Amino acid sequence: MDIDGGAGDAEESTRQVQVRFVTKLKPPYRAPPASISIPANLTRFGLSALVNNLLQSANADWKPEPFDFLIDGELVRMSLEEFLLAKGISAEKVLEIEYIKAVAPRKQEEPSLHDDWVSAVDGSDDGYILTGCYDGLGRIWRSAGVCTHILDGHSGPVTSVCVLKPKASESVVDRIVGTASKDRTLRLWKFGAEELLDQPKKIRAFKILRGHTAAVQSIAAEPSGDMVCSGSWDCSINLWNGNASDTESGLVSVKKRKKDGEDEEPQSEGEALSTLVGHTQCVSSVTWPQRETIYSASWDHSIRRWDVETGKDSLSIFCGKVINCLDIGGESSALIAAGGSDPVLRIWDPRKPGTLSPIFQFSSHNSWISSCKWHHKSWFHLVSASYDGKVMLWDLRTAWPLAVLDTHKDKVLCADWWKDDNVISGGADSKLCISSGISVQ
Amino acid sequence: MRTRQRKENGSDKPENGKAEKKVQKLKAKNVEENLKRIEEAEAAAESSEDSPFVSDSGEDDDDDDESLSEDNGSISESGSEQSKLSEDEDVVRSSDGDNPTGASDDDTDHSSGDSLREGDDNDNYHGEDSHGGSEDSREVVEESDSSEDEVAPRNTIGNVPLEWYKDEEHIGYDLAGKKIKKKERQSKLDSFLASVDDSKNWRKIYDEYNDEEVELTKEETKLIGRLLKGKAPHADFDPYAPYVDWFAWDGAKHPLSNAPEPKRRFIPSKWESKMVLRYVRAIRKGLIKFDDKPKEEPRFYALWDDSTPAERQGLAYIPAPKPKLPGHEESYNPSLEYIPTQEEINSYQLMFEEDRPKFIPKQYTSLRSVPAYEKAVQETFDRCLDLYLCPRVRKKRINIDPESLKPKLPSRKDLKPYPTTCYLEYKGHKGPVTTISTESTGQWIASGSKDGTVRIWEVETGRCLQIWDIGETIEDVAWNPLTEFPILAVAAGHDVFILNTGCGSHEQQKTIEELLHVEPQKATDESDTSASIVSWVQDDRHGGIRLKHFKTVTKVEWHRKGDYLSTLMPSDILFPAVNTLVVVRESRSVLIHQLSKRLTQRIPFKTKGIPVSTAFHPTRSIFFTATKKDVRVYDLLKQKLIKKLEAGVREISSIAIHPGGDNAIVGSKDGKLCWFDMDLSSRPYRVLRCHPKDITRVAYHRSYPLFASCSDDCTAYVFHGMVYSDLNQNPLIVPLEILRGHSSADGRGVLDCKFHPRQPWLFTAGADSLIKLYCH
Repeated sequence: MDIDGGAGDAEESTRQVQVRFVTKLKPPYRAPPASISIPANLTRFGLSALVNNLLQSANADWKPEPFDFLIDGELVRMSLEEFLLAKGISAEKVLEIEYIKAVAPRKQEEPSLHDDWVSAVDGSDDGYILTGCYDGLGRIWRSAGVCTHILDGHSGPVTSVCVLKPKASESVVDRIVGTASKDRTLRLWKFGAEELLDQPKKIRAFKILRGHTAAVQSIAAEPSGDMVCSGSWDCSINLWNGNASDTESGLVSVKKRKKDGEDEEPQSEGEALSTLVGHTQCVSSVTWPQRETIYSASWDHSIRRWDVETGKDSLSIFCGKVINCLDIGGESSALIAAGGSDPVLRIWDPRKPGTLSPIFQFSSHNSWISSCKWHHKSWFHLVSASYDGKVMLWDLRTAWPLAVLDTHKDKVLCADWWKDDNVISGGADSKLCISSGISVQ
Repeated sequence: MRTRQRKENGSDKPENGKAEKKVQKLKAKNVEENLKRIEEAEAAAESSEDSPFVSDSGEDDDDDDESLSEDNGSISESGSEQSKLSEDEDVVRSSDGDNPTGASDDDTDHSSGDSLREGDDNDNYHGEDSHGGSEDSREVVEESDSSEDEVAPRNTIGNVPLEWYKDEEHIGYDLAGKKIKKKERQSKLDSFLASVDDSKNWRKIYDEYNDEEVELTKEETKLIGRLLKGKAPHADFDPYAPYVDWFAWDGAKHPLSNAPEPKRRFIPSKWESKMVLRYVRAIRKGLIKFDDKPKEEPRFYALWDDSTPAERQGLAYIPAPKPKLPGHEESYNPSLEYIPTQEEINSYQLMFEEDRPKFIPKQYTSLRSVPAYEKAVQETFDRCLDLYLCPRVRKKRINIDPESLKPKLPSRKDLKPYPTTCYLEYKGHKGPVTTISTESTGQWIASGSKDGTVRIWEVETGRCLQIWDIGETIEDVAWNPLTEFPILAVAAGHDVFILNTGCGSHEQQKTIEELLHVEPQKATDESDTSASIVSWVQDDRHGGIRLKHFKTVTKVEWHRKGDYLSTLMPSDILFPAVNTLVVVRESRSVLIHQLSKRLTQRIPFKTKGIPVSTAFHPTRSIFFTATKKDVRVYDLLKQKLIKKLEAGVREISSIAIHPGGDNAIVGSKDGKLCWFDMDLSSRPYRVLRCHPKDITRVAYHRSYPLFASCSDDCTAYVFHGMVYSDLNQNPLIVPLEILRGHSSADGRGVLDCKFHPRQPWLFTAGADSLIKLYCH
């Protein structure tokens, strides 16, 4: 980024503001705490250049870095003067400006090509990326363009994928993932993470979960990885046992047989443990953020929170639009982000009493929102994908998108975070795009 | 006495001047007469009042003068001088009196003349009067009392114009016939000076007739003043003296009239009663009114107001407007600011014809060089034409607020949700998409196109799932309404295909495959005549059944139970029966097929006209057939015609039945949309003229109160159509949205529209080979 942008040639006529730059970043990023006087017409770009200058004066071999600036917990998206006016902050006092690393991708990885539309992506495991494709195959990608496994078995397009987080006690050797498909089944797959092959290895599901009478739209795993839930076009949410070895005795024998002959990969079939009924239309998205609660979104315009123990819905939010995607995250993992059949990404806070109207509405997209995901660690950052071909990064502290990723040529069907600083997205152009170098603390 | 005089003087003072003027104006004769009267009156007064007046008169004079002088302070000092002057004048007078030659003659000649002169003299010379010098002369006057007016003047010329003597030396002749010489006149200057000096000058009158100057006495002026006021000339005359009735009426022996009292005194007056009657009648007729207040006429009105006179006249006459008068710019030599510059003249050329100024001012050196006005004839003609053709009639206009005429419709915001924006497009067809159909769960749609393919799309993502290449223009596609049988009926060319979409589960697939399996023998074995109409054939290429018709099938529709299927061949078919030679004229354009039994039957009633569209009743066994003119409603169980709906449009193109079953909409090729309330009437409840071009398809939403129409003008209209369960309430129709976005191809626009079965979304199929989804 160009440093000496607007800082040096600030006109004398403009107003000056006394500011002090503070940060929570590590020492190399820390600027001297003395307050300095800067022209009030600086924008984010100018402020960033200024901080970089300050840092360079302290450290000679400093590499310029884009920063974002927070005043009173709000990102500066206009000139400092306008911002102070709009927020009614006095310019007389010494203004404390917190700076953070700007959230924007530094690099676009080479797209990973699929045979058909990439309909689902999951990056919750740092070791690999799991994608689902319309050709009915799931794929495991170690990094951009490196496919290690192909999950073969579905007879219809894969609609949703999820990673079953193994328990801490279990070894990291076997990774378990689940896929949902339009062929009305869910499949669970197991593969060894450490094997590195030149050719992608085709593996078969160790468990097929049948029970839905219509296309399965969504799959989500319990945090511990014991169970999975799925939403379907038959308006129901089914809960399944995720870990075969724990419950079913039959599977043990299967495992034994597996050792005997590798070609014949035995498969066990599972039945739904329970069904959550309440939605009147297609359940388009489910998430299972905590052990007790499942959140689901449906085409009947509602978002519901289910109690797993009782199987009753404890909360329902109606938004008036078809909802396609749902994610739970943000502040203490309580905020609900959802997008649907309009270009607005809405965020609800179910803890807020009295009202069930969204607390944030982000409407920079032009078409249906197909996917939205919270950052795992940040309270503020979101990624959303839309049919207009754009992936946007959002920060709750500003109404404008932080970054717009325009790498897809067609509808983007899915997006997720990966390794905390990558955004992965798949779309109707059969590509998995990885944007890396996004520094979210 | 004195106070009264003083008062009179005080009040008369300003009038004295006037009196003087008037007196001067008086003709000589009149003056003389007046003087005589004055004299007479004075004499009488003197005689009655005796000495005190006379004795005091001189002092009185002085007093009066003083009082006068006191009144107007400017001449306060003149009082003392005045007396002196008067004395001087007296002297002059005396000399004057001596001067006339015939003075002695006068005395001797005529007593009366003398007496006059004496009187005059007496008047003039009060001082002498006081001395009582001419007591006798007064007595003479007293004697000649009766003939005072006839006192002959000194001059005897009579009443002749005095101009005759203007140039003569004499003014006339005295009684003796001698010429009376004109007196030597003072020069004007002298007379003026004399008049200025003489304070009594205002009392002097020149008697032209006798050629002498007369000075009025105080009494005379007072008398004149009284006369001018219209009072009795004499000061002592009392006009209001108590009346003394000298005649004693009482006790008169003979009354003045001894006539008896007349009868009329005792009877009511006939004329009065007539008068009263007349008044009474007038009152009854209302001609006489007893209004306390007189009618108030507006005291002021705008004299130059143009608007009122017609109303005031009570006439509906509107005067023709006057032509505009020429102004400065029409002058032959207007000021420079009126003359347009060349640029302005050039700019006129750029203006519209009607905006251009009619007249461009020009400057001429003289009026002579002004040419004839070239537009004179034209303008006169226009003016005449205007006067002649323009009807100047006052029209009575009812003032209606146009807003009040508009029906009160609820706001569009309250009627949400309804489709507004296109977010998804389904791309893939190579030709105009003629028809679409939605699956009942709303997961998929099927479409047929002129490129000969039938496609199934995923609604959510816009992905094309399946393609069948039929090879002929697809006329119609229809999903089976049952969710467990995801099969598709496709009308293409002469055939109707029933295709297995493969969207169902495995068990469903099996039953469908069984259902769609036709044994070849059975199809040919059909002995009924209907068999020859349609043959059921297994179609292996597309995986389904093929129903061979003998004419082009344009419409295929499922019954709600998913077993029956109606097909439409829009031509009046003369079907020659095979076995008989008689040509049976029987319409077989509408056929009903039963899928489970693989049967085909005609509709069991005769139809008139060529059917365009058909529809099943959503709940009852009623069948709708739309011909070009009307819609016929048949009961399938009773096998008879129930109703005929007259649309009154040029050509019906499509029909849709409300899910309640009592309402229907009909789209026509002249762009009209008719809403029928079948309980209400067989005529349209509402006709909506919205599309400028043919309506290609109309559709109802299954659950939301929405309906839509699409047209060749590349738009689709979405309406709110609320049907109430209350029979008294008519359906509410509100236009909501015009959906644009399709482009025209070969003159066709939007060819089909269908609502999503569960969401307030509308699918439109365009001739531009796109399918669009409009979401709320």
